Amino acid sequence: MSSSAGAPAGAQNGSGWYLYGVVAAGYSPTGFLSGVSVDPAHEVEFLTEGSLTALASRVSLAEFDEPSLLERLNDPAWLEQKIRAHEQVLERALGSTSVVPFRFCTVYRSEAELRRFLGERSEELEGVLRRVEGKVELGVKAFVDRDRLALTLAAGDDALREIESRAAAAEGGRAYLERRRAERLVSQELERFAAEAVGACHARLLAVAEEGTLGPRQSAELAGRSDQMLMNGAYLVRADERRFEEAVEDLRREYAHLGVGFEITGPWPPYNFVPREVGVS
Amino acid sequence: MSSRDLDAYRPGQATGPAPAQLADVLERVLDKGIVIAGDIQVNLLDIALLTVNPRQLIASADKAKEMGIDWWEGNAFLSKGDGEGVLEQRLRRLEDAAGIEPDRAKRASLRERSGE
Repeated sequence: MSSSAGAPAGAQNGSGWYLYGVVAAGYSPTGFLSGVSVDPAHEVEFLTEGSLTALASRVSLAEFDEPSLLERLNDPAWLEQKIRAHEQVLERALGSTSVVPFRFCTVYRSEAELRRFLGERSEELEGVLRRVEGKVELGVKAFVDRDRLALTLAAGDDALREIESRAAAAEGGRAYLERRRAERLVSQELERFAAEAVGACHARLLAVAEEGTLGPRQSAELAGRSDQMLMNGAYLVRADERRFEEAVEDLRREYAHLGVGFEITGPWPPYNFVPREVGVS
Repeated sequence: MSSRDLDAYRPGQATGPAPAQLADVLERVLDKGIVIAGDIQVNLLDIALLTVNPRQLIASADKAKEMGIDWWEGNAFLSKGDGEGVLEQRLRRLEDAAGIEPDRAKRASLRERSGE
């Protein structure tokens, strides 16, 4: 990444267009997004070009140009506020139309440039819209109480019970070695269980979804929980589909005794089911 | 309009319109969604399009860790480095019952590491 040293000073005072997402043309509810935008001075506008409408709002380049962004992104309060605004704009649209979400901080220098992008990439964007039409993304996170799972697994494992009793009977260095051995066994057992469970759950959910993907597990601090994340899945589901929730409910029932719980989040704009990049030639 | 419709298919939030977990929003808005013509634009002011890759920016930022924005670094599953795992506790109980002092086991471990 290069620095933007030597930038014309005037640009710092200019404005750009922040692009949240694209929907099919014809979508322009009144009073839709009052008060929700990444820059409170400017409300969301609908810019239609051919068959597509961009959800966008003006932003100050003093705030969103790269040199400033580098600083702002280090400001957790700023980042959370803007990220939530981005999400809220798309969520509101998602209530009544299909949405193609764009990445945080996609900023054009002018309305004309944004319109040109819509025009030049219309086929590609229409294709993406068709793919997500009538669908939403649902997140499914599974959490596990590690201690409870370890106890349950250990209780049914003869080899482990034997090693543990040996560890109990041993003394000194011998006890230490037995103990390490038992720890390793439990860890292996937990990993094996996790891999199997995630595979099985993902397959079950895929069967009632259009598409699905497994993302990186969030750390406990990030997820704000004491138990650990076992699975972090995202699924593209028809907005009127109910079998998906039923499938999650089934999983809840089946895994409860192992200390595994499931959470559904969303509906989200289909962030995980749009191409990573558009317009790369 | 939209909020009602949305609530209708908010199965995980039946108790009310609780805001989404920040982590879930972050991993989507910062890391997913369409990027136009590449993540990083060089000399932004010379070109029409400004896009940045916040993930990269944040990964290099000091405060990222304070915020806990490190999901892409992965996390060791079911790891428990603080010695408070269920097995540790269980073994400590067993050690107690067997009259083994944990310190003795530690010393044994040191001897073992230094070549027995």
